[in-house]
Amino acid sequence: MAKSEKPKLGIFSLTGCGGDQLMILNLEPVLLDLLSRFDIKDFQEGSSYKEECELDIALVEGSVSTKTDLEKLKKIRERSKMLIAIGDCAIGGCVQAMRNGQMSMAERMRKVYGVDEDYYDVLEPKGLSSYVKVDLEIPGCPIEKDEILHAITSLLHGDMPEEIDYPVCVECKLNGYPCVLVEKGMPCLGPLITAGCNARCPGLGLDCIGCRGPIPNEANVAAELKVLLEKGYDEQYIYNRLRFFGGNFEDIQNLTKKVSEKAGKKE
Amino acid sequence: MMKRVIEVEELTRVEGHGRIEVVIEGSEVKDVKMAIFEGPRFFEAFIESVHYEKVPDLMRRICAICTASHSLASIRTIENAFNVEVTEQTRILRDLLIHGEMIESHALHVFMLALPDFLGFPDAITMAAKYPKEVKAALQLKHAGNMVHNVVSGREVHGMNERVGGFSKIPSEEELKNIRTAMAATKPTAELAVELFAKADIPDYVESENILMALDPGEKFGFMGDYVLVSDGTRHPVKEYLNLTNERTVKHSHAKFSSYKGSSYMVGALPRVLLNKDKLDGTAAELYDKYKDILTGKNTLMNNLAQAIELVHSVDRCIEDIDILLSNGLQNEGLVEVEPKASRGVGAVEAPRGILYHDYTFDENGCVLKANVITPTAQNAANMEKDYRVAAERMITEPDEEIVKALEIVARAYDPCISCSVHLTRIRR
Repeated sequence: MAKSEKPKLGIFSLTGCGGDQLMILNLEPVLLDLLSRFDIKDFQEGSSYKEECELDIALVEGSVSTKTDLEKLKKIRERSKMLIAIGDCAIGGCVQAMRNGQMSMAERMRKVYGVDEDYYDVLEPKGLSSYVKVDLEIPGCPIEKDEILHAITSLLHGDMPEEIDYPVCVECKLNGYPCVLVEKGMPCLGPLITAGCNARCPGLGLDCIGCRGPIPNEANVAAELKVLLEKGYDEQYIYNRLRFFGGNFEDIQNLTKKVSEKAGKKE
Repeated sequence: MMKRVIEVEELTRVEGHGRIEVVIEGSEVKDVKMAIFEGPRFFEAFIESVHYEKVPDLMRRICAICTASHSLASIRTIENAFNVEVTEQTRILRDLLIHGEMIESHALHVFMLALPDFLGFPDAITMAAKYPKEVKAALQLKHAGNMVHNVVSGREVHGMNERVGGFSKIPSEEELKNIRTAMAATKPTAELAVELFAKADIPDYVESENILMALDPGEKFGFMGDYVLVSDGTRHPVKEYLNLTNERTVKHSHAKFSSYKGSSYMVGALPRVLLNKDKLDGTAAELYDKYKDILTGKNTLMNNLAQAIELVHSVDRCIEDIDILLSNGLQNEGLVEVEPKASRGVGAVEAPRGILYHDYTFDENGCVLKANVITPTAQNAANMEKDYRVAAERMITEPDEEIVKALEIVARAYDPCISCSVHLTRIRR
C-alpha cells in the first residue's frame, strides 16, 4: 500500500499522566508493525514530526482541565473524522475530577499553590464528551493493551469495536475468584465498574477501586452504598471511594452531596 | 538594539507539554523561560480526607512512566508516619520493582526519545528503518522492565500489588525466573546503550557548574534511601527536605522554583552515578571506569550516558534480587499489621528523573490532613533554565533554528516529566 493510502493518525494528550499513550508504546512486540499501518501525522510524545492536516483517526487522552486543553480539543475535533477518547481522564475526568462539585477551583489553587487567583485558566476537570462529539470511548486507568489493540485493528478493517457494558463481577466469577466483598468484607466497587480488566485486583486479593469507571447508565450506586454501609464503612470513606474515579458521574455526585455540604460548613 | 525571541513552541519527545522562550538583545541573553502548559491536577488538594490504605493508589497516578516510584515513595511515607517495619522479602521485592521501573523508563528515554537527536531522526519509528535491530532490541529491553511491573506490581502502569506493609500477592518462582531469563538475554542491549552514547558526538555547549543531589542508597548503588547527598560534600536526612528544595516564588513566573543555598541544582541519573560511583559494581562499574573522563557533572547532556550506565546496573540488580528471592524461598507472608495514628511522615525514592519526595500529615484515623509532593522535574526546572541560558549564550552567533535544536536537546537530556505536574514550576503563558 502506498504511504498516502494509509489512514492518517494523530495521538494527542490533554491533562493527565500520559499513561494511555504509554500503554500504546507498551505494545512492544507489535508496536512497530502496528504503527507502520498508519500515516502518523501528530504524536508529540513520540515524534518531532508534525503535520497540520485532516486526520482519519484522533486518539485523545487526558481531561479537559484548562482553557488551553479545550481550544486544543476543539481543533482536534475539527480536523478529525473519528475522535476516540482513550482512558478515564478523557471519559470522566479520572482522579483529578474527584472533588468536582465539592471543592472550587479557587480552593484547589489556594491549597496547592497558596494563591486564590486563577493563574492557569483552570476549568473543573471533565471528559471530552462534555464539550465535543466523541465517536468511541475506551475506558481504563490506564487503558488495557488488548482492548486498544483490538479497537485499532477493528477500525483498520472498517469495523466499530464493541463497548463493554457489564461489571467486573462477571469476570471475577469467570475466573472463579472468591468474592472479596461478600467473603472478606473488603470495600470492592466491582459491581459498579465496567469490566475488561479480567478482574485484575480481585485476582491479586484486592478490592476494585473502580479505575475503569462506572458502567454508563447501568451502575446501581445506591445499592453499593447500602452494602458498604452494612459492612461498617463510614460515609466519608465510602464517598471518597466512589469519587476516586466517579467524580463526574451524576448518581455519585448526587449521593455524595451530603458530605460536600458538611465539608462546606466546616470550612 | 536588535531583539530576537527564540521559541520552542512545543517540546516533543518529552512527557507532557512545555515550551521554551529565549530573548536575546544584541549580544546578550536577556531572558529565559520554560513555560509549562500542562494542566494542574491538584493531587495535594483532593487527597485530603482519603484513608492511608488507598493513598498510594491515587498518588501513583501523578505519573505513568514513574508510577511505581510514586507508589513506593507514598508507601514509604505512610510507613514512616506509622513506624511500620516491613520484611526482608518485601524490601527485596520493592528493590526489584524500582530497578524494573528504571529499565522501562530509561530504555524508553535513551533509545526512543534521546537517541534520535544524535542519529538525526525525528523519532524512533523512522530511526527503525535504518536501525531495525537496535530499535527492536531496545523494545525488548523495555519489555523486560515491564515484565517486572507486571509480575511485581500487577500491571505495567498503575499497578496495585505493592501495598503499605508488603505485597498483596507474592509472585511465583516461575514468573521470577522468566524475568531473570529476559534480563540476562537483554543485557547486551543495555551495554549497547552505553557504547552508543559514549561514542556519540555529545555537544559541550551547556558546560557549567552544577550542584548535584541524589539519595544515599546505603552500601550498594540503588534508588531508595533516607539521606540526601549533595555535591558540596554534605549529607541531609530526607525529613529535612524543605531545607534542600527551598521552593520560592520568582518574579517573572508567579511560580515556584527549587534552589539550594541560592543556586539551582540537578537531580537524576548523572547526579546519582557521580555521587554514588563507588557503590557501582560489576559491568556497570567497569563501564563507569571506562568512560569516567567524559562523564562530567558539568555537562548535563551526559545525563543520557549516566542513564545508560544505570540501565546496565539495573539489569544486573534485577537478576541479583531474583536470585536472592529464589534462594531464600518465597514466603506467602501477608501484609504487616499497621496501626494508624496522628502523625507526619516524609519519604523519598529516586524516580527515573531524580529524587521524589512525598510528605503527608495524618489524623488519628489515618486519613490525610495535608500532603506535599515535590517531583524531580520541578526540582530540575531552575537548572534547566540555567542550561538554556548557557547554551543560548554560547550559540548566540548561530542561526535561530540551530539554537532551537540545542534547546530541545538540553530539555530532553533531563528527560523531563512534565505530567508529574503537581506543584511543578509554571509560567503564565
